[in-house]
Amino acid sequence: MEINYDAIVVGTGVSGGWAAKELCENGLKTLVLERGRMLKHIEDYTTMNDDPWDYKHGDVITEEIRKQQPKQSRTGYVNSESSKHLFVNDLKHPYSETKPFNWIRGYHVGGRSLTWGRQSYRLTDFDFEANAKDGISIDWPIRYKDLAPWYHHVEEHIGVSGENLGLPQFPDGNYLKPMELNCAEDIFKGAINSKYNDRVVTIGRVAHITEGTKPGAGRINCQYRNRCRRGCPFGSYFSSNSSTLPMAEATGNMTLRPNSVVHEVIYDAATKRASGVRVIDAETKEVFEFNAKVIFLCASAIASTSILMQSKSDRFPNGMGNDSGELGHNLMDHHFQVGAQGSVEGLQDKYFTGRRPNGVYIPRFRNIGGATDQKDFVRGYGYQGGGGRGGWSSSVAELGYGAGFKEAITQPGDWSMGLTGFGETLPYHDNKMTLDYNNLDEWGLPTVNFDAGIKENEFNMRKDMMQQAAEMLEVAGVKNIRTYDAPYILGNGIHEMGTARMGRDRKTSVLNKHNQIHDVPNVYVTDGAAMTSAGNVNPSLTYMALTARAANHAVEELKKMNL
Amino acid sequence: MDRRKALKNIGTGFGVIAVTPTVVSLFQSCQSAPSYAPAYFSSADFDKISQLMELIIPPTDIPGAIELKLPEFTDGYIAAVWDKERQASFAEGWNAFLSASAEISGKGVNQMNASDWDAVLAKYLKPGSEISDAEKPAAAFASQLRSLTVNAFKTNEFIGENVLAYAPVPGEQRGCVDLMEATGGKAWSL
Repeated sequence: MEINYDAIVVGTGVSGGWAAKELCENGLKTLVLERGRMLKHIEDYTTMNDDPWDYKHGDVITEEIRKQQPKQSRTGYVNSESSKHLFVNDLKHPYSETKPFNWIRGYHVGGRSLTWGRQSYRLTDFDFEANAKDGISIDWPIRYKDLAPWYHHVEEHIGVSGENLGLPQFPDGNYLKPMELNCAEDIFKGAINSKYNDRVVTIGRVAHITEGTKPGAGRINCQYRNRCRRGCPFGSYFSSNSSTLPMAEATGNMTLRPNSVVHEVIYDAATKRASGVRVIDAETKEVFEFNAKVIFLCASAIASTSILMQSKSDRFPNGMGNDSGELGHNLMDHHFQVGAQGSVEGLQDKYFTGRRPNGVYIPRFRNIGGATDQKDFVRGYGYQGGGGRGGWSSSVAELGYGAGFKEAITQPGDWSMGLTGFGETLPYHDNKMTLDYNNLDEWGLPTVNFDAGIKENEFNMRKDMMQQAAEMLEVAGVKNIRTYDAPYILGNGIHEMGTARMGRDRKTSVLNKHNQIHDVPNVYVTDGAAMTSAGNVNPSLTYMALTARAANHAVEELKKMNL
Repeated sequence: MDRRKALKNIGTGFGVIAVTPTVVSLFQSCQSAPSYAPAYFSSADFDKISQLMELIIPPTDIPGAIELKLPEFTDGYIAAVWDKERQASFAEGWNAFLSASAEISGKGVNQMNASDWDAVLAKYLKPGSEISDAEKPAAAFASQLRSLTVNAFKTNEFIGENVLAYAPVPGEQRGCVDLMEATGGKAWSL
């Protein structure tokens, strides 16, 4: 196969798909490398129509799944009979933990864009200015105005439904019509709006088409099946497979090569540029080199960082771009699994139609100035949650068992309402990943070790997250409120980020304001690794916006012969 | 006729909620259960569990636990989904339940009939019974068995597609609607 290209993109998840689309649409001959297998839109969504009874034990995690996926199974919400094939076999893809870390991965074309949570929010200047203002870590090299047009561009293509609220800490976007709140949520919203000046309840902003169509592989309106993470035959939510990769392919400029384990970016000392990448074929173990003028690492934070760490040369003895010593450090996630829930009385004659693949959202209301500033923690959190009607209620249990009980369990149970906080994790230098050369994988490559966890700021924030969730539910008249703080492990948010951060100064960061490695300008890293701070909102939309912006920068720089 | 296929056809032919006597008899006619070899329970225990589950979900105008093969589902579920530790604690609860049952009925557990088991379930699952500390493990087991039975019932294809409101492709989402208009009072199955 051809070994010379204009551009190489490593990875096919949300970032890689966007890099492929933008580079190909700008006329660059682009090689897209994916370490996992080919996975075709619709054709390979093998479980997309399965009902729970299509599996012998229901759609659950069996002991057999736990054997193959002991780490993927630890969260309890990642893999099951219907989705296990979209997550890695931990025995084949091991990693080690100095401190517990749940590294959730999907090795196939599309990566985690197939299984992501689809919540799509913009960062704000509260986030971009936070490190500088708090004197924590380093300043972001960009501000909201730099990314805003790219957020707009990405939202326009992927389709994000939601509601504009005009809040400075929760910027408006380019949204399709919002999904509907259910009856319990509507009452909750009314109560919060009337009793708080600083908080609002809104429907989640989610990458689903709710009106019209979007470009790609025939993407249409959400059918409300809520089977998103198995792959959607309607292309209703955004995935690389339904959207960006078909658009890249349509240009005729994309060559997609699955089963390609990139492990090194090759540095050319003469040009002070990267010349290409080294690849091991996952199946045949053959080694290849591919060359390009520009390289986009979009393999996800941990994997892209791992590739840079393995890219050693005389110029970069500690890994490409690691002059600062920050490569692999400042590992972040969003901490969550803390909140409250309770039961909502009444509404017995109300129900809903459709399985809405979305919940409600309460934007950040802490540390945004004035009375909102807290003494016990910096930064903020938002809530995701929702109301529902399921299970069987205490009134059904009163029936005990038998014919009356049987009839009662065919009817909807009581309404409930719950809130889970999603909080910002600070970038701590000592939260890190390293490579373990004593424990190699099947391809002879070093495995990743994690040594990271949340600290005092996050623990203090969690107390407030739990307390405020309970208080809001109580204010809204929710009964039997139970709070919870599950043992959160870093990685559970599946938002790994920060290990090759952007910054203004090459002495303290890996990437510049365009996501280029400071001293290797033809290598861009545009996945979660680039994040200088985490913010408190789901990050995928930001990765896509950063990627689109960087790809267009690369195109301009190539035209100017700067790369 | 293949039972699964027969049930799929019922689902498309008769709509999502109504279950007519014809449907039930068709369902019954396709039963050709060869004797089941339990994966988790001993055969003797499986018979007892089956009787208990049949009391929890008895036959009405829709089939009961045994005809729906809920005991088979539950046996397979415990064997394949639970780890050894959870299985062991379940076994402990079962033993406590059996001892308590023998005491309540005044019979050996192998001699107990359906009405004897009914009395045990009435004590542990109906509201208002006095449960001594010594009986708490037995009562907790009864609740756990009820939950397992409900799970099996709700994961059952016939129930999911024909008794509960089944909408594999809803096509639209409305947040707050009238229950009777939406499903005729039934819970959504998915």
